This record gives sequence, C-alpha cells and structure tokens, in this order.
Amino acid sequence: MAINKDSNTYTISFAIVLVVIVGGLLAMIANGLKPIQDENLMNEKKQNILNCLPGNKAISRDEAGSVFSDFVKQRVILDYNGKIKDNTLLDNSVELNNKNTNDAFSVDLLKEYKTIKDQESRNYPLYICDVKGQTYYVAPVMGKGLWAAVWGFIALDDLGNKISGTVFDHKSETPGLGAEISQDFFEDQFIGKLISNNNDFKSIEVNKPGNPLNDYQVDGISGGTFTSVGVEEMMSRTLVVYHKYIKNLNKS
Amino acid sequence: MDLVNIFIRSAFVDNMIFAFFFGMCSYLAVSKTVKTAFGLGMAVIFVLVVTIPINYLIENYVLKEGALSWLGSEFSDVNLSYLTFIMFIAVIASTVQLVEMIVEKISPALYGALGIFLPLIAVNCAILGGALFMQEKQFATIGQATVYGLGSGVGWFIAVVLIAAIRERIRYANIPGPLRGVGMAFLITGLMGLAFLGFMGFEI
Amino acid sequence: MSEQTVAIEEKKKVVKEREPLFSKKNKKLITDPLDENNPITIQVLGICSALAVTVQMKAAVVMSVAVLFVLILANVSVSLIRNLIPNRIRIIVQLVVVAALVIIVDQVLKAYLFDVSKELSVFVGLIITNCIIMGRLEAFALGNKPWPSALDAIGNSLGYGMVLVIVSFFKELFGSGKLFGFEIFGNATEQTGLYAMGYMDNGLMLLPPSSLIIVAVYIWIQKLRNPSLIETH
Repeated sequence: MAINKDSNTYTISFAIVLVVIVGGLLAMIANGLKPIQDENLMNEKKQNILNCLPGNKAISRDEAGSVFSDFVKQRVILDYNGKIKDNTLLDNSVELNNKNTNDAFSVDLLKEYKTIKDQESRNYPLYICDVKGQTYYVAPVMGKGLWAAVWGFIALDDLGNKISGTVFDHKSETPGLGAEISQDFFEDQFIGKLISNNNDFKSIEVNKPGNPLNDYQVDGISGGTFTSVGVEEMMSRTLVVYHKYIKNLNKS
Repeated sequence: MDLVNIFIRSAFVDNMIFAFFFGMCSYLAVSKTVKTAFGLGMAVIFVLVVTIPINYLIENYVLKEGALSWLGSEFSDVNLSYLTFIMFIAVIASTVQLVEMIVEKISPALYGALGIFLPLIAVNCAILGGALFMQEKQFATIGQATVYGLGSGVGWFIAVVLIAAIRERIRYANIPGPLRGVGMAFLITGLMGLAFLGFMGFEI
Repeated sequence: MSEQTVAIEEKKKVVKEREPLFSKKNKKLITDPLDENNPITIQVLGICSALAVTVQMKAAVVMSVAVLFVLILANVSVSLIRNLIPNRIRIIVQLVVVAALVIIVDQVLKAYLFDVSKELSVFVGLIITNCIIMGRLEAFALGNKPWPSALDAIGNSLGYGMVLVIVSFFKELFGSGKLFGFEIFGNATEQTGLYAMGYMDNGLMLLPPSSLIIVAVYIWIQKLRNPSLIETH
C-alpha cells in the first residue's frame, strides 16, 4: 500500500512526529547537561577572579571551584558612592548562589551595562581576597570593544593605590588584534601601575604602543585601537568607585 | 538618536557582507545583473524587518531565562535558550512561506518581482545571522531591534546592488580567464570591503 | 573461454549486484570536492563561515572539524528519512534536522569541552547557516543512500577544510607572524628574529577583506592549473 506523501494529513502528521522527536531529544539532552554547564560557567568566573591575584595565574578552571573560598574571604555589593549596599549578603559561609540577587557573585554586569544607562544606579560587586595574609580587592569591570563586550577582573592592593594583577576577556574581538587583550603580555603590564595620586583617583591610560610609559600608562594593542580604548574606558569608569571604597576603609 | 546610531552602525560599520560575510552565497549568485540584485536586496530588507521583531518577541517572551514568567510565577525559572537556533530558523522559514503566500494574493506584481527570491531567503545566512546578532546585542526595545533589522537589510542591499553594478560594467573587460566569474567577484568584494573599513568605529 | 575470464565475469556480476564500499564511484565522491568540485571555490557554498574564521589556523581547524561532524550526521540522517520527507516541507525539515544536530553538538561541547566551546562560541551559529550543509542535503542526501551520503559529506567537508586551512595559513603567517599561535618570525613586541631586521606584520591580513582576496588568488591558481573549470563570461 503506497502512502500519498503529498496529502495534507501526511505532511502534518510528519511534521508533528518530527517536532515531538526533535523537541523531546533536545529537551532531554539540554536538561541532562544543564548542571554541568552551569558549573563550568561558575567555575570560569571563579577562575578569572582567582587568576588576577598575584601568583595565582596557574589555577585551572577545575581547581578554581574547590579553592575559591581559600582566597575569597568576603564578597560585597557597593553602590556608586563606594558604600556597601544595605541588603548585600555579608555572611560568606553561605554557598555561592547565582539566583540570590543580594549575593555579589550573582550580579550580571553585562546586563546592567546594557540596560541601566545611569551608572550611578548600577551595582558594583567586590571580592575581598586574602593571599598569604595580604589583602587584595578584586573588582570586575565591563565595557565594550570593537564588536561586542569586553570585560575583566582587576586586583587592587589593600591601600587602593596599585594594581596587583588583571585578567581580561572578550566576547568576539578580532583574533590577532583586539583579542590579544586576554594574553599574558597585555595583562601583566598592568601589574604595579598606580590608580591613585595623593589619594585622588587617577585613571590608567592605554597608550599607542612604543612610547615611553609612566606609572599610569600601559601599551595598547597595535591594530586593536577600539578594544584598547574600551579597556581604558571601562577601567576609568568603574575603578573610581572601588577606589572610593578602599580609601574610606583606610581612613576609618 | 539611539535609533539613528543603530541604523548607521548596522548598515555601514557592521555591514553583513563586508564585516561578517553573511549571505555571501546568494550575494555571489545574484550579483550578475543589477535587476536581480535589486530584487533580492529588497526581499532581504523585507524579510529582515519582519522576522527580527518576531524573533525579538520570541527571545524575550519565550526563550530567555525567566522569559516565561508572564505565564505565572512558577514558570520564572524555565530557561529554553537551548532552543534558540531551532526556533529562529522555524520562524524564518515559516515567515518566508507566509510572506510568499500573502504577497502572491495581495500584489501579484510585487510577487512577480520578488517571488523567485523568497524561497532562496530562508537559507540566506544573513537572516539567521541577523537574528543571532539581535539576540547577542540584547536590545532594550522592540523598536531598536526593528531598526537593527532594517539597517542590516539596507547594508546588505547596498552591498549587493553595488557589486552587481560593478560586475555589469566589467562584463566586456578583458579579465584573465581563470579569474572570470567567481574569482573576480571575490576580488571586487575584497576591495569594496577595504573601502567599507573606513566606517569602522563610526558613531553619531 | 578460459577460467580467468569466467572469474572476471563473475566478479562483474558481484559488482553489479552489490557495490563495494570503496568503488571507483564512491572514491570520486571524496576526491572530487577536493579539487574540481570544491564546495568553496567552485560550488561557491559556505563562504560566510569560511571567511569569518580564517584569522587563526586553530579556529579554522576547529571549525572544519565541527562542520565535518555536523555534515556527516546531517547527510546520513536526512538520507535515512529521505523517502519519508514530504516534498512540500522538505526545506524546513532539513533546517530542523541541521539545527537540532548543531544544538546537540553545542550543548555537549558546553558541558564536556568547555574550552573548545568558548573558542567556537561565535561559530556554532554559523554552522547552521553554512550553506554547504543545506546545499549538500538538498543536492545529494535527498536522493542517495546513507553510505554514499556519508562519503559525500566527508569529501565536501575536507574540501571545505582544505581551503580554510590554506587561507588561514597565509593570514596568520603574514598577519601576526605566527602559525597555530607559535611565533615563526620572532617576537614582534621584543623585536627579535625577523622583526629585528625591520620586518613588520601586515595588519591588513587580519582584517576581513584580505580573506576574499586570498580566496580569489586561490581560485585563480586552481583554474590556471585546470582550465576546464574556467567560466565563459
């Protein structure tokens, strides 16, 4: 018995069967793998935070999950004036929670950067870390490169004067040009640079490569102009908040 | 101002052809004469303007994490983003089919001009590419998304009409044999791409 | 009639009844797309992704492997259900099959090979829109058995990968002086190797238009060697 493949009934039932099979298969796979994927994403963020601390560059993503709490002692959310927000979750024995909006770890900087135009009402998460008895403040930054978002984590020393380490990453900068910001040679030149001049905030400048540099300047990426400008912009816009917080802390 | 910026950026700076090579296959296939290039270009603008807002709504009210919360608070945890590709493709393919039928009924003249190109468009990477970029850029309003669709379409249109005009003019030029046809089209596109690099980082 | 000819006759019979796995025809399915029927330079398919990922050799290789994988699975699965697909909705059915496969690949990569998936992030969507996959489904898998379809998939993705690797070789070597990330010409920032003698990277090579020009030169050389491919106008 031949089936009429051009009949409406056949076409529709074929479509339904296909949709059910494909939909079921995808739902099964996606739900089955979801926990592993979420863990990967969280571990990557943890790894980035740890990697910008001095001497921690070698920590791998898998290790980051388990040693995170050895280094990060407290995580807080600041407002634009550098004050800890009232509702911020201060009890750090609590397991990291991506869903709890009071947990600094859950702040979605990219979303805030895109949707909250007024930077004074954005959230500023901060990770207070301890490496061999020395306190470091890790501040996340978010901005835009040539094609899409660029972001990074900046470790500041306990006086809020000096950069102790950086990690940068990007969504889709041009490989070989803008994408070089995530390479060690770019990240490492920030180490030891100053962000403070007599207790006033002074921003890092990302310069055209090849010129002599002072304590507030680093070399940009040749050919990656817009990405370098993006790095400079996001650092000057964001670090001022953390600078205020650390300076106030040291005054009292 | 924001809308103008999005339009300029998507049409000239992030041009579908010159910056991302999206829709190259049909671009090379129809760019032999200005007339066909014009037809397909219009069809691409049209489909982009229709599908990007639809995909925007789907993205924000069905697919995104928490997007289903309008159904009730118990749905606020549902995240269907893994279905993105398949939903976008389904929307595009069915919109193209629908548009084809509607245009055929309402305006046979327009159908005569666009008709043969519409089926081609379902598999044009520029359309799905536009939808995926729309998702990545996370536009705040549907208006911005629509303008983005319009801008991308116009950018594609400009590119395909320009190259068709050039290819028509060099029809009788004495090009080395091996470069005739596709080879020359690649070279011209490369040179045009260089010119469009001038728009890089352009913002109003 | 000697015994030998009988044996040959018999062999021919067998060939007719059952084609061996690697018959001449099947071998051609693999070798053809490498040269005279190359998906990129001759069929003009899959150019979008080919040009977008060729800045670094690593990305090009990863993309080729991803396309190989998806194309084989898509070709075989469409070929398996080719007699069931209603003609009217066949394009949508093909798109759904490809999109589903890509989602599966994407999800598995995100869970088990997170670093590779980061590398691929932008390109995964490009696999669906890759016209090679739709083109081969429509032109070959819909009308052929699964085994030849698989061979056709391998051949076409190899032909695709070959062009990708060649283009990215020139772009990475002359654009950033590296191959697979290893410094070939010395270190540009520290001015060692060739750079000490005043050599400079050609930044243009890293930008999109140069891929088009390299592909054009590739087509030129290919057609020069094989004049039967030259277009008449």
